[in-house]
Amino acid sequence: MTTPRLSTDGLTVRFRLRGAVVHAVTDLSLTVQPGELLAVVGESGCGKSVLAHTLLGLLPRNATVSGRAVLDGNTELLTGRVSGVRGRRVGLVPQSPATALNPVRTGRRLLEETLRAHGRPRSDADGIAAAVGFDPADLDRYPHELSGGMAQRLCTALALAPDPSLLIADEPTTGLDRPLVDHTLDLLRRRCDTGNTVILITHDLTAAQRVADRVAVMYASRIVEEQPADALFAAPAHPYTAGLLDALPDRAFRAVPGHPPMLTALPAGCAFAPRCTRATDACATMPDLSGTARCHHPLVEQEVAA
Amino acid sequence: MLDALPRRRVLRLRPGQTGTLVAASVLAVAILACLLAPALWPLDQSAVALDQTRLPPSWAHPAGTDDLGRDVSLRALYGLRVSLLVGAVAALVATVIGGIVGGIAGTLGGPVDRLLMRVVDTVAALPHLLLGIFIVAMLRPSLGAVIASIGVTHWLSTARIVRSELLSLRNRPFIDAAISGGAGRRRILTRHLLPHVLPRLALATTLMIPHAVWHETALSFLGLGLPPHLASLGNMINDGQGSLLTGAWWASIAPGAVIVVVTLAIAALAVRWREYLDPRVRAELQL
Repeated sequence: MTTPRLSTDGLTVRFRLRGAVVHAVTDLSLTVQPGELLAVVGESGCGKSVLAHTLLGLLPRNATVSGRAVLDGNTELLTGRVSGVRGRRVGLVPQSPATALNPVRTGRRLLEETLRAHGRPRSDADGIAAAVGFDPADLDRYPHELSGGMAQRLCTALALAPDPSLLIADEPTTGLDRPLVDHTLDLLRRRCDTGNTVILITHDLTAAQRVADRVAVMYASRIVEEQPADALFAAPAHPYTAGLLDALPDRAFRAVPGHPPMLTALPAGCAFAPRCTRATDACATMPDLSGTARCHHPLVEQEVAA
Repeated sequence: MLDALPRRRVLRLRPGQTGTLVAASVLAVAILACLLAPALWPLDQSAVALDQTRLPPSWAHPAGTDDLGRDVSLRALYGLRVSLLVGAVAALVATVIGGIVGGIAGTLGGPVDRLLMRVVDTVAALPHLLLGIFIVAMLRPSLGAVIASIGVTHWLSTARIVRSELLSLRNRPFIDAAISGGAGRRRILTRHLLPHVLPRLALATTLMIPHAVWHETALSFLGLGLPPHLASLGNMINDGQGSLLTGAWWASIAPGAVIVVVTLAIAALAVRWREYLDPRVRAELQL
């Protein structure tokens, strides 16, 4: 059996605020293998981006983290020194690219700086830019002269420059037109086919369906369902997953009613129960993630078909 | 076709540039005159000519002569030399002190930041001029004492600017992005923080020069600046006070005009420079 690229065990992140505690990530256990593309999906505010920041050690001071996250079986991401790990072994395509670029430096200078810091020649800059669909001629522009989609591609290029074995892409397709979305996704897919690993954080289920090997669905700081992509899209087990799939334009095109709970005031039982049509008294206790879904009343395949 | 257009633009001033050109010319002439003065118009600072006192402006003495028969225009030029030197060096001293204090407070944060900022508040609570006078009185009036007294009292705003800039930069997403790209402390500091702080620091220094010139003038005016026989703009305005009562208004006019014109020119250029340093504004200027 191969060493997993990343394995987390009971990963929990809390933010202390004045008079409240934000439950950002709760008891998250994941394993991603080399060459695998894992999609983490869920509505805004379910803890996806906090997961990315936790793995890169970018959390603010008011955060407390417990649990473990081990990279390649030999590097503790939460307790060890991560300075040599960032960029080269774990890369991040940040969310909101417009603010992730230093406004007083051109794309070329940012890209060349990253390349040089990781021992690659500056001349690679044009090639990397072209690979993500960013015209190398635009590298000499300042960030404010780029469109949202261009900034997004530049951020992807910056994350790819050190060629990280684990790339965490936080909404890497925001602001892109469909052809460019597909281009970026296929680029990530090809990285996995050469033995690298990608964690794709997205709320775009269509994107996940296109390229993911496995999909983990997050709701209110927990993983509520984790399955191989084919199985999940064919037969979701958790009612929330089924609801998300129903919201797709080529399916029922019907959003899940209601809103996700506040992360400062999560119920003791299943957090989805208030929005769930299948909820019963049993849902007042927290279900385990047994099998594929964290649910007392998972859907079985016939129901999905119906 | 692309070659032809920009060339025409070089010669044609865009709106708002006339002022910049005037300010730059004034400053260039002033600095050049200061540099060349000893060679072109040598002046014995202690020489007096009691037979030529209080002569009104004429071709021989473009700004007249003072109580002791000294040429006001020439002494104003020598005064400007002193004032510009004092202003530039004092502004540099203030920037270095302020940059170090603000830099430490902004990068370390926490208790160090709180302690340093209380020191800043304490110094700010004392009147600048009073503190400056105290320092000069302790050190005896000399060029070094004047520079020290201005530098030591004027680093507060620079420290605050650098600190707040660093504190706000630390939380900007592009710093996180650089860290996640593998940048270490030093690279973050030199490549991502300094490019933001340095232009502001340079601008603060430039804007401090006219202020320091005024401060030197004020100290000299109070008799605490340079020794009275040495020409400085403050000394001259101070001397001219007495002449004003006897009708020799010109003794104060020349040094006063010089200080107003030169400080305005520096301030105008600094404002223009600030616009240029922002890539956003620069792009608009190039349209």
